[in-house]
Amino acid sequence: MTKSLNLNGATGLIDLPSGEAQDDARFSFSTALVGPISRATISFQITERLSASFRFQTWRDWNTLFPAESEDFDARGFDIRYQVLKESQYLPSLTIGLIDFAGEGLFSSEYIAATKGFGDRLKVTAGLGWGRLGTDGSIGQPFGSRPPVDPAVSGKLNSDQWFRGDAAPFAGIEYKINDTWTFKAEYSSDAYLLEDETRGLIERDSPFNFGLEYQRNPNFRFGAYSLYGSEVALAFHVILDPKTRATGGVMGAAPVPVKARPSRASDPDAYDGGWVSQPDAGPLLRKNLAKRLAVDGIRIEDLAYTATTVQIRIRSGRLDAASQAIGRTARALSHVMPASVEVFEIVPVVNGIGASKVTIRRSDLEQLEFAADNASLLRQRVTIADAGPWPSPSVGDDDLYPKFRWSLKPTFRLTEPLKGEAGLRLSASYDIQPGLVLSGSIYGRAFGNIDRSGNPSTSVLQPVRSDRSRYNKFGDPALESLTLAWYARPAEDVYSRVTFGYLERMHAGVSGEVLWKPVDSRLALGAEVNYTKQRDTDGGLGFDEYDYDVVTGHVSAYYDFGNGFVGQLDVGKYLAGDVGATVSLDRIFVNGWRIGAFATVTDASDEDYGNGGFDKGVRFSIPLNWAMGNQTRNSIGATLRQSNGDSGARVDVDGRIYDSIRDYHTDALDPEWGRVWR
Amino acid sequence: MGPGVALMGMGRLTAGLAVLALLAACGSEKVEVNPIGTMVGTVAKATIAKAKAKRSGATAQAAAPVTREAIEAYAMPILRVTIPTRGADALVTITDQKGDIVTWSTTDGTTFTFRSGILIQTRGLGADLMSADAPSLTQLMQDGGTHQRVYFFLGADDATTRRTYDCAVKVVGPEMIEVFQKQHRTTRVAEVCARQGGTITNEFWIEGKTVRKSKQLTSGAIGFIETEQVVD
Repeated sequence: MTKSLNLNGATGLIDLPSGEAQDDARFSFSTALVGPISRATISFQITERLSASFRFQTWRDWNTLFPAESEDFDARGFDIRYQVLKESQYLPSLTIGLIDFAGEGLFSSEYIAATKGFGDRLKVTAGLGWGRLGTDGSIGQPFGSRPPVDPAVSGKLNSDQWFRGDAAPFAGIEYKINDTWTFKAEYSSDAYLLEDETRGLIERDSPFNFGLEYQRNPNFRFGAYSLYGSEVALAFHVILDPKTRATGGVMGAAPVPVKARPSRASDPDAYDGGWVSQPDAGPLLRKNLAKRLAVDGIRIEDLAYTATTVQIRIRSGRLDAASQAIGRTARALSHVMPASVEVFEIVPVVNGIGASKVTIRRSDLEQLEFAADNASLLRQRVTIADAGPWPSPSVGDDDLYPKFRWSLKPTFRLTEPLKGEAGLRLSASYDIQPGLVLSGSIYGRAFGNIDRSGNPSTSVLQPVRSDRSRYNKFGDPALESLTLAWYARPAEDVYSRVTFGYLERMHAGVSGEVLWKPVDSRLALGAEVNYTKQRDTDGGLGFDEYDYDVVTGHVSAYYDFGNGFVGQLDVGKYLAGDVGATVSLDRIFVNGWRIGAFATVTDASDEDYGNGGFDKGVRFSIPLNWAMGNQTRNSIGATLRQSNGDSGARVDVDGRIYDSIRDYHTDALDPEWGRVWR
Repeated sequence: MGPGVALMGMGRLTAGLAVLALLAACGSEKVEVNPIGTMVGTVAKATIAKAKAKRSGATAQAAAPVTREAIEAYAMPILRVTIPTRGADALVTITDQKGDIVTWSTTDGTTFTFRSGILIQTRGLGADLMSADAPSLTQLMQDGGTHQRVYFFLGADDATTRRTYDCAVKVVGPEMIEVFQKQHRTTRVAEVCARQGGTITNEFWIEGKTVRKSKQLTSGAIGFIETEQVVD
C-alpha cells in the first residue's frame, strides 16, 4: 500500500502522523485547506529513516474575534522524524517525531506512532502525542509538566518542552478500496485549542475525521475529508522521486563511435609525428574538433598538442553531466587527432579556469568501447588531477566561441511556499580574456503575489534584507547585477575570485574569495572577504537611500560525506554586522537534484531576529532535464527561510567557487561516471 | 515517448525508406565535402535528410506497401528494430563496424550495437544498455550450454546498474521464418537467464552465422527489443 501523506504534508493519516516513512529521497509539495487554514508543506525523506518538513500556515479571518489586531498571522515551522523500526512480519513500523520543533511553540508537538499493515488493503495506526497532539483525551504526564515556551528563546530548539506535559493517544485506519481510492478514518488527540477556543475559527465538535483519497499516478494524490465534525478539508500532494528521471534515463542522441586507428604494423606511417611541424595543423585540428563538439554544445577554450599528447580545454554548456561531456570530447579527439597522439588530456573550464584535468589513453578508449562494464574499467585507467597551468604554446581560441553571450529568460522565484513571482531576466556577459568576465542582468516583474507593500522595515538591525518589499516595489525593473569578475588559479589546488560592482540587487562593492580544493579531496577550505554598500531600492546605480557600508567575511569548510551529502560550515561576520556561524547540509543527486537545509546563529540579540529565533531554512534545486529529458543545464529552485530578518544574511554574489568546480572533481564525477560512454 | 527518441512508427515505414534513400545520397555527396564524415547516418546528416524527406512529401507516399524489392534497392544492410514498450519500429542502417561488432543507427541517432548479432549496447533510448558481458554466437548454438550474462544499464538515477544472470541455452530446433516476404531456414534458440529478481528469455533465430531474427533484453525500463535482419 502507498505510504501516504497527511494534511500537514508529512507521512500519516488525515491530520495525524503514522509510523511509516516515505521511500528514500522522496520529495513532496503538499497544499491543504482545512476550513480557514491553508497549509503548504515541503517534505524530504533525507535518508531511509530520517525525514524533515518545512511548513507554512496562514489563516483567513484570524482576527475575527480580535478586531483591534490588524496583523495577519502566519507560521512557519520545521518537523523532523525518525523511523526507529521498519515494519516486519510481527512488528509494526515505529516513528518518533517532532512537529514545529524550533518555532514559537504554537504548533509544537511530539509523537510516537506505530503502523501495521494487515493484508494488502488495511493499515492500522496508533500513537501517543504530546504538546498539541496531547490536548484531547490526556492519559497524564509521563515525563512531567510542560513549561510554557519562553518568548526569549522563541525560534530556538524548544527542547524543554519535548515529550513533556499531557500525553494523549490517537489512532486511525487506512483502507484501500481499489487501486485508486483509499478510505481513511482517525481519532485525533489534537483539541485545536488555538483555532477553536482562542480564535473562534473552527468548531471542534468531534475527535473523529474521515476522508477519501484518490491517486492514479505516482506523482499526484488528492484527498477530501470531514474534519472534527464541522469542517471540510482538501489536500493535494505532488510527490517526486529525485532518484528517478521522469524519462527513465537521460535522453539525447547516441555519441559518434570511437574511431579506431589502423594498427601500427599495418600502417606505420600513420603514426609518424611529423605533422606537428606543419604550421596550419593547429587551427585545422581545432576547427575540425569544434565542428564535432558543437553537436553537443561543447566549446573549445584552448588546444595544445605534441606528437603524442593533446590537451583540450572545454566549456560544456548543455550536457548536464561532466562525465558525458568528457566522453564526447574523447570520442571527437579519436576522430580528429592524428594516430601518433596517444594521450588525451581533457580540461573542463569553468569561468575561464581549469577545474580539473582528465587524462585518458587513446588505446584504452579504443579497447574498452564495447567491453563489459566499460565505465568502471575506463575509470580505473583514467587519472583525474589538478588542471595545471595553461598549456604553452597553445593554438588559442581564435574567436571560435562567442565571447559575448546574452539571454532573455522567463524566471520564477518562490519566496514562501505559496508566494512567488514570475518575471523576465535579461542577462549578458562578455569574456574579456579567459577568467575575466564582465556581466550584468536586469529583472522585470510580470506577475506574482510576493510582498510589494513598500513598508519600511521595523528591524532593529540595518535592513540589509528586511526592506525587500521596498526593493520589490520600487525596483521594477531593476539592475540586478553589473560586475567585473576575475577568476584565477594562483597555485595548484587553489582557486580565487574577485568580483567588483553591483553584486546583487541590495548590495554593491567588492567580493574576494580563495578556495583550496584538491581534485580528489573530500575537504575544501575557503575564505571570503567583502566590502559592500547598500544599494537604493529603485534598482538603479545610487547609494543615497541608505548610508550603510560594511566589511563582511567568512572562513568556510566544505566536506563531502559521500552518497551525495555535502556539508558546509561558515564562520564570520554577516551583512548586518552580526558575527556567527552557518551550518548547512545538502543532498546532491547524481542527476543534479539538490535539496538542503541550513541554520545560522549569530550574536544578534533575540529581538533582532524577528520571529524566527535564528535564521534557518531549506533550499532545493530541480534540474529541468530531469523532468523533460532534454539537454539543458537549467534548473528551478528556491530558498525558503523561517524568518525574513536581517541577521545571518550574506552577500548574494554569483560564481562562488566551490559549487562551480565541484562537478568536475572526483566526488561528483565518480557517481555519474557511467555517462562517460553515453 | 520523450523527445529525442524518434524511432519511426510502422505507419511511417515508407517515409523511413525515403529517408534512407536520401541518406545514401547525402552520404556520398558529403564524403567529398567533409573528409571526416565517411560514415553514413551521423546525427546531423540524418536530421537534414529527414527534414528533406519531409519537404519532398515522403509522408504522402506512406500508404504504399513496403516491398522487399524497395528495401533491397538501397543496396545496403538493413535491420528492422522493434521496441514494443515504446511502440517504436524502425529500419536502421550500419554506422560503425569494428570486426564482429556492428552499430546500427536510426535517422535521429538512436543506436543499437551487436556482437555477431547479440545485443551489447544501446544509446539514445533513455534507460540504455551501456555494456554487456554477453555470450558468443558459438555458445548460443550449443544446446544445454550454460554461461553467465551481465547487463550494465544506466539506471533512472544515472548510476550504472549491474544485473547478473545465470543462463542456459536451449536449442529449440529448426524453424522456417519469414522476414519481409522472404523465407529463411533458421535454428531457433532460447537463452533462459535467471537471477534472484526473476527470469528472462532471449530468443534467437540463427541462419548459418547470422542472427536472422531475435528478441533480446535491453534494460529493465525498455524491456525487450525485437530485430530482423532484412538485408545482409
